[in-house]
Amino acid sequence: MNCTLEGLSVKAFGRAIHALARIGDDLWLDPTDKGLALRSVNSAHSAYACFLFSPLFFQHFSLNAPSQQCSGSIKCKLLMKSVLPLFRCLTSIDRSVERCQISISDSSDRVIFQFLCRHGITKTHSVRFQECEALQAVFSSQQCPNVLKSPARLLGDMVMHFPLSQEEITLSTTPLRVSLRNYNEGGNDRLKMVYTNMALHPDEFDFFQVRDDSDITFCLKELRGLLSFAESHCLPVTLHFGAAGKPVCFSVEDVVLEATVILATLINSDNRNSQPTETPAPTTPRCDGVDDTVTIPSSQGSPMNQGCEAMQLLPHIYNANDPCVSDEADASAATTPASSVICSLLFRASEQNDDCFPTKLPVLASYSDDDEDMEENGVEFPSL
Amino acid sequence: MPLSTQSQDDNDEQYILVASLDNARNLSNILKAIAFKDHAIFTATPNGLKVTVEDSKCLQANAFIQVEIFQEFTIKEDLVGFQVNLTVLLDCLNIFGGSTAPGLSTALRMCYRGYGYPLTLFLEEGGVVTVCKINTQEPEEPIDFDFCSSNVINKVILQSESLKEAFSELDMTSEVLQITMSPSQPYFRLSTFGNSGNAHYDYSKDSDMMELFKCTTTQTNRYKMLLLKPTTKALALSCKVSVRTDSRGFLSLQYMVRNDDGQICFVEYYCCPDEEVEEE
Repeated sequence: MNCTLEGLSVKAFGRAIHALARIGDDLWLDPTDKGLALRSVNSAHSAYACFLFSPLFFQHFSLNAPSQQCSGSIKCKLLMKSVLPLFRCLTSIDRSVERCQISISDSSDRVIFQFLCRHGITKTHSVRFQECEALQAVFSSQQCPNVLKSPARLLGDMVMHFPLSQEEITLSTTPLRVSLRNYNEGGNDRLKMVYTNMALHPDEFDFFQVRDDSDITFCLKELRGLLSFAESHCLPVTLHFGAAGKPVCFSVEDVVLEATVILATLINSDNRNSQPTETPAPTTPRCDGVDDTVTIPSSQGSPMNQGCEAMQLLPHIYNANDPCVSDEADASAATTPASSVICSLLFRASEQNDDCFPTKLPVLASYSDDDEDMEENGVEFPSL
Repeated sequence: MPLSTQSQDDNDEQYILVASLDNARNLSNILKAIAFKDHAIFTATPNGLKVTVEDSKCLQANAFIQVEIFQEFTIKEDLVGFQVNLTVLLDCLNIFGGSTAPGLSTALRMCYRGYGYPLTLFLEEGGVVTVCKINTQEPEEPIDFDFCSSNVINKVILQSESLKEAFSELDMTSEVLQITMSPSQPYFRLSTFGNSGNAHYDYSKDSDMMELFKCTTTQTNRYKMLLLKPTTKALALSCKVSVRTDSRGFLSLQYMVRNDDGQICFVEYYCCPDEEVEEE
């Protein structure tokens, strides 16, 4: 494969690599006649990202290796830490780099990145690759009941309110409302936590389809890269998702590129669509002193036992007639209105207990010896 | 200052070297560019001050502060040499905290009575005077790399800006930095061979960063990366760099440094090539 990028495209390419670097430690390169796909997956296989650049994105794009006549589109992966430094200084890269040529050499196991920079300086980096099968997530967005399309800055502006250290957030959607709030496992630093909850009206979205109410919790850190990419290119972000436990897919696209991030969501062991007035079937809490009706932990102290290792993830139950936006936002309230029951979100420590609640984080890609844990579509991940 | 004037009148005859600067940073900044080892050899002549730092007999750095830089430079012998702890000297020169407030600078008066005596520094800022006495040692003989202009095969002068970027991006997992100089492509090339792969930085002879290009023969030499790493401090301060290699593959890097008052000083590094590679 042999392709050439000019100035501004180098910046977009670099941004894609930065976004992929937030996901995993390896970068998969997959040149096809549809273009060049850059992919990455995290070590837990709970996050996957793909940036597909069509041939039009490049000044020149050819599947042939530079020296060969026949088509040899090698699929390979590189270490992210070898590639990321080549695209540092994104803010000035379009001014300092006039052209970038990327070629996969058949004869040696190297990918050559050649930067023609200003002042007659040429930088050539040859990075070792490992030949491998293409990485591909199997995910059908058509099967998702809920689809949202948000303008470029909307999601970025919303997640800006969460601290950079925030690991996971919960997206709650009903046909009437969308809200984002931070998700915190039970922990010792509860006194220091700031609870943030933002609600949006469906009108804020370019497209809004919510067939099933859902609450999904996913990793925010891994998503930030795509959101900043979307913002910098002023591209709207489309979300496809379903019930908790099923992956959520964030995608952006324009004429010359498509980017997708698929994240696993936390599983809920109880029926999420229970009637608002019913309390959940009491799954035996492992902690002492936990009721079905407890308050959201506040600085006044929480009824949860902090030393408890195995806690059940309970669904968030609310009264559909009484939008709980104000209740959720009132994190420091010690009591809740009689009409709504708010349960604390308790997190189950994964892989540490083999008790009767084998809840685990869903994985997108299964290991060959771990098939029974697959809750949803898997990544075809080859064993090397 | 009453104290210093008094000592000036009484003791000046005893000093074989007295050097004064209104702004001590004109000395301390340039010394920082070569401060990769604790000890430095000071050699003073009527032409000025030369400070030398060496590493494992393979690398030598020299800072030249010529006599015109000093407000006062009195030397009673043809050559005055001593060795001091450079780290301690820099700490003393910055004793007032090294603030860069305009108009406020540390004045320095450096005095040396001769063999066996400490180096005395009088430092004054804002009316406060500090006297520092630093023990001196027997000066070692600086290595003579025998690098003379007549042996120089290849020489380029580059604007530092372009090299600064390259040096900041250099793959530090590479044990060596390879420098190729040639009258034909690639003209001037810096190469690294790191864990993740190779990198080449090529500077065309027509580049507007290239001020002088005089290469007669293609030469490729490798130098230990760890030895060259200290040169980045000098590079950061400089506006121009000259890179020269001689017939043995020895490398000379000369950095042109402008001080606070716009005066030019030079810092020079000599480096032996890595022995494993055959030179041309």
